[in-house]
Amino acid sequence: MPRSHCLSLRHVKRLMPFVIVIAVLACKGTDTASNGGPGNFGGTIVIATPSDAATLLPPLMSSITDHEVTDLLYDRLADIGADLNTVGDKGFTPVLAERWEWSADSLSIAFHINPHAKWHDGQPVRANDVKFSVNLIKDPALGSQAQPLITNIDSISVRDSLTAVAYFKKRVPDQFYDLVYQVSILPEHILANTPVAQLKTAEVGRRGIGSGRFRLAKWEAGARLELVADTLNYRGRPKLDRVVFSIAPDFNAAVTRFFAGDADLFENLRAEQVTRLNGDTARRAVRLPSLGYNYLAMNAIDPASPGHPHPVLGERAVRRALAMAVDRRAMLKNVFDTIASVAYGPFPHSMPVASDTTLPQIPYDTTKAKALLDSAGWLAGPDGIRAKNGRRLEFAVTSPSSSSARHKYAVLLQDAFRRVGASVKLDESDFPSYLAKITSHNFDAEMESFNTDPSVSGFKQSWTTAGIGSEGTNHTSYTNPTVDALFDSATTAFDPARKKAYARRAFETIMDDAAGIWLYETPTIAGISKRIHTTPFRADAYFADLANWWIPANERNARDKIGLRPTP
Amino acid sequence: MRRYLVLRALQALGVVAFITTLSFMVVHLAPGDPIGSSLQGPNVTEAIRQHWRAEYGLDRPVSEQYVRWVRLVAHGDLGFSFSQRRPVRDVFADAIPRTLLLSGMALLLSFAFGIAVGVLQAEQPNGSRDRWLGRVLLLLYSVPDFWLALMVLLLFSLRLRLFPPGGLHDAVLYDYMTPPQQLLDSLKHLVLPVLTLTVLSSAVVARHQRGELVSVLSSDWMRTALAKGLSWRAAVRRHAFRNALLPTITIFFANIAVFASGSIFVEKVFSWPGMGYVTVTAVAARDYPLVTAGVLFMSVIVVTGALVADLVMAAADPRIRLR
Repeated sequence: MPRSHCLSLRHVKRLMPFVIVIAVLACKGTDTASNGGPGNFGGTIVIATPSDAATLLPPLMSSITDHEVTDLLYDRLADIGADLNTVGDKGFTPVLAERWEWSADSLSIAFHINPHAKWHDGQPVRANDVKFSVNLIKDPALGSQAQPLITNIDSISVRDSLTAVAYFKKRVPDQFYDLVYQVSILPEHILANTPVAQLKTAEVGRRGIGSGRFRLAKWEAGARLELVADTLNYRGRPKLDRVVFSIAPDFNAAVTRFFAGDADLFENLRAEQVTRLNGDTARRAVRLPSLGYNYLAMNAIDPASPGHPHPVLGERAVRRALAMAVDRRAMLKNVFDTIASVAYGPFPHSMPVASDTTLPQIPYDTTKAKALLDSAGWLAGPDGIRAKNGRRLEFAVTSPSSSSARHKYAVLLQDAFRRVGASVKLDESDFPSYLAKITSHNFDAEMESFNTDPSVSGFKQSWTTAGIGSEGTNHTSYTNPTVDALFDSATTAFDPARKKAYARRAFETIMDDAAGIWLYETPTIAGISKRIHTTPFRADAYFADLANWWIPANERNARDKIGLRPTP
Repeated sequence: MRRYLVLRALQALGVVAFITTLSFMVVHLAPGDPIGSSLQGPNVTEAIRQHWRAEYGLDRPVSEQYVRWVRLVAHGDLGFSFSQRRPVRDVFADAIPRTLLLSGMALLLSFAFGIAVGVLQAEQPNGSRDRWLGRVLLLLYSVPDFWLALMVLLLFSLRLRLFPPGGLHDAVLYDYMTPPQQLLDSLKHLVLPVLTLTVLSSAVVARHQRGELVSVLSSDWMRTALAKGLSWRAAVRRHAFRNALLPTITIFFANIAVFASGSIFVEKVFSWPGMGYVTVTAVAARDYPLVTAGVLFMSVIVVTGALVADLVMAAADPRIRLR
């Protein structure tokens, strides 16, 4: 029988700080009521980050810090809208391209470069830079992770110095998004002299000369990375003078900097740290939208005998029974209290195309789980562990030791599965070892944490037959022809409603197959100084509009008052 | 003497070669690789990772990679750091001075403080001062470095707000300070990590110094010195202290090696990007060139430290003959 969830007064008292914090979060997420008008230019934001940037070349970025820094330094042709629509150009706002025109057959788009756009070294941005950027990513010698995402771009031609025309191989709904979202425009005059294969290691990759509203001032490796306002930027100077990434080598050190007042923002607070902000006069907690979701991924293939179904988890009835054995809400409360939410399925609910929260869920019901296993021939042995044809209902759950949340979930799942007669061995290893097991499909089940991009095509890589192997990220080798067909239809549908309907049916099928147990959506609670006034956060990149954050003149401290003196 | 130096140099070379070979093999045979660790985005396919592996020769047999690495090192090239995407030489050029600054201060302070405490204890062996200091030292000796570092951080930075929580200097204002202000700011950032390392190391030094001094004080020649009419203080200063200091010299030079390779936990807790921090992040990222070069650096420092300690001991104590 499912356990009851009655809360005692003691529990209620314990939960009150979280409830208050979440209520405050709901009210104080962003400062949309007022704006940083004239006179609000100036100030410094210090972002505490647990890792240094590795590169300042967008096609080669690999970490979240790389992403944050390069997004502030470089511009795209256009920016995705707040609704993260990826079909056509609806919602996209001009950035380097001041306007664009589609050809009659939609197989080409002419981008008109803003004539005022300049690189941080003063050179003008030209159509050749667009051609260079796309060709660079497509060049196999670079090994850019964006390369597989722009295969539909056939070529770029330069009509005149300010007009670049993109030609596509076929007309697809995401073709505009593929180009403008995946390609940051790079300066040809800076990079072209370095052979492509050497860009990974060349010093030029650390110069960060872009056209964004911030430019690189100083990079002290392992310590800090400083960006300053590009005051002559064609899109106007940013409201803040300076963005400093203060690098602390581990999570606790970074959090300490935030709480000691040495940093204004830390992106990923844990539950216990969120409660510390309750009543804090200088700092607040902000819930950031996220495209991350976490689940127990179950391998469909036997790692000991590739090509054969997994002896335990390859059976649909077993997977469904295991899903029924998991009280996801109780686990969520145990690990995150109130700062996270249960995952609805193999998608983040903040993603518009997948935001359907009405999909039928496999209910928590241990009695039904046991009955299902009985009927599938998995019968309990003397030690309570089930077996079928001499094979015990046993498997390992692989997780990275670097994630305390995933570790806690693995322990709770082990207990939940034991209650229905399944024995779980916990297989915890450091992140590189964990990753090596996952990418080589050498696991039974694993605690997967996945951050998707806004396009539905990302799901094809993870959940379709085409994503199995070296060209995809379908590590569980899940395969279902219906899902393949539905995602194909979803990616080629131009009508958003139809796209969403196809995606819904695909998700419904995956969930019905119990390809995974959908545990939680990644909670991203940032701690932020109350001096910093923010604009609405975009789900794929909270920092996308950082150039418009501001600090009112009367709230500035010593580090805000440096002004735009050149960095010595 | 020359023969001794040549023999010790050859011996040291053998030790360094053995340790670096072992670390090269161990890190290469561990699961995972630098490409998997650094390219982990949702869109990164195995094909992209294979491309990078092939480009850096990581798809070649370990023995082949080893020969290539030895060849590079022989030409003075320590390789390219995968995790930091810059030459290992540049990574070390940043990290080594930072570690030397932190460790150098901590080393000098811990020996000054440790020797002083040891002398204080030895003045009245088994007296109340000796017993109390002994208990405190035992406590400090038993404390794990990461725990002490965290407690120091919580107390002096988060609670009392006396010192900054970490880093080399103020992340924003440092560049805009006058030179005296910069010096003061750097010192403020050094206080907590130096304090932690000093407290931990001085406990060891003090216990050692006390033990040596007590054994020297009960020797026959010390009794003779006192019988000749020397005051207790003069006998201790001229005879006992000098003799008791000899073994401490060995510890000092052995500690130079340990300190120079960086304190992993203290550097991590106080965000001090020195050799300890570089090494631990390199291991976590499976950054083969950085790990192996780090081990190479540390082993060279350790064997050099041991050699210098032997030479200094020989110079300080005429009874020791080097062969």
